[in-house]
Amino acid sequence: MEQKTIISTENLVKTYKDNGMEAKAVRGISLEITSGEFTAVVGPSGSGKTTFLNLISGLDTPTSGTVQINNRLISEMKGRELSDFRRDNIGFVFQSYNLIPVLTVEENIEYIMLLQNVPKRERHDRVIKILDKVGLNGMESRRPTQLSGGQQQRVAIARAMVSNPTLILADEPTANLDSKMGSELLEMMKVLNETTGMTFIFSTHDQMIMERARRLITLKDGIVKTDEIR
Amino acid sequence: MIIFKIAFRSIFRQKRRSILTALSMFGGFFLSAFFIGFSDGSYNQIINMFTRNNLGHIQIHESTYLDKPSLYKTIRDYEDIYKKLQSIKEVDAFTPRIYSAGIVSVGEKSTGVKITGVDPKRENIATNFNKKIYEGDVFSDENSYEVIIGKGLAKILKASPGDDLVVISQGADGSIANDSFKIVGLSKSGNELEDRITMYIPIKVAQELLTLQGRIHEIAITIKKLNTVPEITELINEKIGSDKIIAEPWQAFAKSFYNAMQADVEGMWVMLVIIMFVVAVGVLNTVLMSVLERRREYGVLKAMGTKPGDIIKLILVEINILAVICIALGSIAALGINYYLSIHGITLAEPFSYGGMYFRHMTSEINLRSFVIPAVIVILSATVVGFFPALKAAKTDPAKAMRTH
Ligand SMILES: Nc1ncnc2c1ncn2[C@@H]1O[C@H](COP(=O)(O)OP(=O)(O)OP(=O)(O)O)[C@@H](O)[C@H]1O
Ligand SMILES: [Mg+2]
Repeated sequence: MEQKTIISTENLVKTYKDNGMEAKAVRGISLEITSGEFTAVVGPSGSGKTTFLNLISGLDTPTSGTVQINNRLISEMKGRELSDFRRDNIGFVFQSYNLIPVLTVEENIEYIMLLQNVPKRERHDRVIKILDKVGLNGMESRRPTQLSGGQQQRVAIARAMVSNPTLILADEPTANLDSKMGSELLEMMKVLNETTGMTFIFSTHDQMIMERARRLITLKDGIVKTDEIR
Repeated sequence: MIIFKIAFRSIFRQKRRSILTALSMFGGFFLSAFFIGFSDGSYNQIINMFTRNNLGHIQIHESTYLDKPSLYKTIRDYEDIYKKLQSIKEVDAFTPRIYSAGIVSVGEKSTGVKITGVDPKRENIATNFNKKIYEGDVFSDENSYEVIIGKGLAKILKASPGDDLVVISQGADGSIANDSFKIVGLSKSGNELEDRITMYIPIKVAQELLTLQGRIHEIAITIKKLNTVPEITELINEKIGSDKIIAEPWQAFAKSFYNAMQADVEGMWVMLVIIMFVVAVGVLNTVLMSVLERRREYGVLKAMGTKPGDIIKLILVEINILAVICIALGSIAALGINYYLSIHGITLAEPFSYGGMYFRHMTSEINLRSFVIPAVIVILSATVVGFFPALKAAKTDPAKAMRTH
C-alpha cells in the first residue's frame, strides 16, 4: 500500500482561557501521520492527549499553528464547511456514550450515511458487512442498552468506519472497559487496520494497550516527548 | 426521517420528563378549552336572554331613532318590509313594536311608564312573549283594550289582574291620549328595573291611542344563528334598500350591554395569557433539564456532522409531537366536560346579575374555537419556549460535551 502523508501539524498550540487563568494544553506540536498508521497517543493525565486529538479532528480550533488533512487546511475551516469535512473524513470513537440511545445498532451506524444521502439499499448492505467485521452480526436491531460496554464500543468503531473516512480518531476507547474487553477491542481495531488499511489514532493510559501500537507518541505538558515507530 | 425517529423515541425514553411536560400542556389545553367553552356558553346564554327573549337580534328603525327616539320617527310601509323579511331564510321571526311614554293610574296610585305596543301573535313567536306572563292571561284579542304590566309596576300600583288602569299620554297629532284598560296579566322579563316601568298593550290599540295608524317604531327580528347577525343585518339592509329605514345589530342597539360584555371577554383573554404562561414555564423547565441531560447526545450528533439547524429541529419536533398528543387527549377530555356542561350546566349557589337580569344556571357550549384557540396556545407557547433550549443544544460544543464525565 502506498504510504502518503494524510495529517500534518505545524507548531500546533492550544491555550484555554478560563476566568483569566490560562491553561496551555498543547504547546507546539509538529508531526506527520501517514495513511494506514496504527498510532497511540499516550502520556499522563493532563498532558494534552484529548486536546491534541480534538485539534486534528477539527472538533476544536488551535490558538496558533496549522492542521492539514489530505492537504486541506482544516485549522482555517469554520461552520458548515468544517462539519461537512468532519462528517466525510473523520470517524469518531469516544470514551463512552458514543451511541444515540434511542436508535438501534443499525440506525446508529447508518446515521452518517443518511447525512451523506447514501441510498437505503447500500446503507443496509454496508451495515451488515461492517457488523460482520466487528463481530456483531445479527445484532443490528438491538438498542445500545441491550449491549455490553465492549459491544457498544465495537458499534462505535463500526459507525466510525462505515463511511470509509480518512482516519479514525479514538480518545481512550478502552477506558471504560475491563482489561480483557479492552484488549479484545484493541485487537479488533488492529485487525481492521491491517485488513482495511484504515488509519487509526487512539489515546490511552493503559500500558498493555499502548504496547500494541506500531507508533507511539508520548506527550508531556503539551509537547511531544518521544515519538517511536516499532 | 431520522430526526423524527429520534424525537419520537426520546419522548418514550424519558417517560417521567415527558409526562411532566405533557401534564402542563394537557392541563393548559384542557383548562383553556373548558374555560372558552364555558364562557362562550354563558355569554351566548346572556346574549340570548337579552336578544332572543327580549330585544331581538336585529332591529329595524327610522335611521335616527336609536340616537334620539321620538314618537314621530316611524316606519310606514312595514307590510312591505315583512315580505322582504319573509324571503330571508335565516330569519326566524320578526315582530313590530310601538313605544311611547305615559302616566298610568290604578285607583289612587299613579306612576310613569313606558308603553309598548306589541303584536301578540308575532311577539310570542319571536320572543316567547307568553312565557313572560307569570300571572293572569295573555291578550284575548288584538283589538281589545287590555294591558299586561310588569311585576314591579304591579307592585307600585298595588294592582292585580282584573283591575282597571287609566293611561294618559300624547297622540302623534298633538291630542291628549286617554283611555281605560283592563289588566289581564303580569309579566316578568328577568330584568327587574325594566319590569317597574313596563306595560304592554296590543299594537293596533296603541296605534289608535297614539294616533299612529299605519305606523310603527320598530321591527325586532330574531335569526337562527347568533354569530351570523352582522351578515344578516347587511342582507336586510340591502333588501330594504333605503337610507331612511335601517336595520341594526344588537351590538348597536344594546350598546352598553355589548360594551360590558366586551370587557368580560377581555377578561377571558387575560386568563388565557396566564394559562399560556403557566404552560410555558412548565415546558421550559422540563425541556431545559432534558437538554442539559442529553448534552453528550447532541455532542455526538454534532461531531458526526449534524447541522445545528437539525438539532433545533430535533428538539422542536419532540416538543410538538408531545403537544399534538396532549392536544388530542385534551380535546377528548374537554369535549367530554363541555358536552356534559352543555346539557347539565352548572347551577350557581348565588345567582349573579348582568344588566339587570339574574342568572343562576350556566351552560357550556361546544364550538370550534374552544379547541382551536387552546391548540394554538399550547403549540405556540411550547414552540416559543422550546426555542431557547433548542438553541442551547444546537450550540453544543462537541469537544466540551464529550469531555465532561
Ligand atoms: N475547556 C478547558 N478549559 C480550561 N482548561 C482545559 C480545558 N480543557 C482542557 N484543559 C486543560 O488542558 C490540559 C490538557 O487537557 P487534556 O484533556 O487534553 O489532557 P489529557 O491528556 O487528555 O488528560 P486525560 O488523560 O486526563 O484525559 C489540562 O491541564 C486541562 O486541565
Ligand atoms: Mg483525555
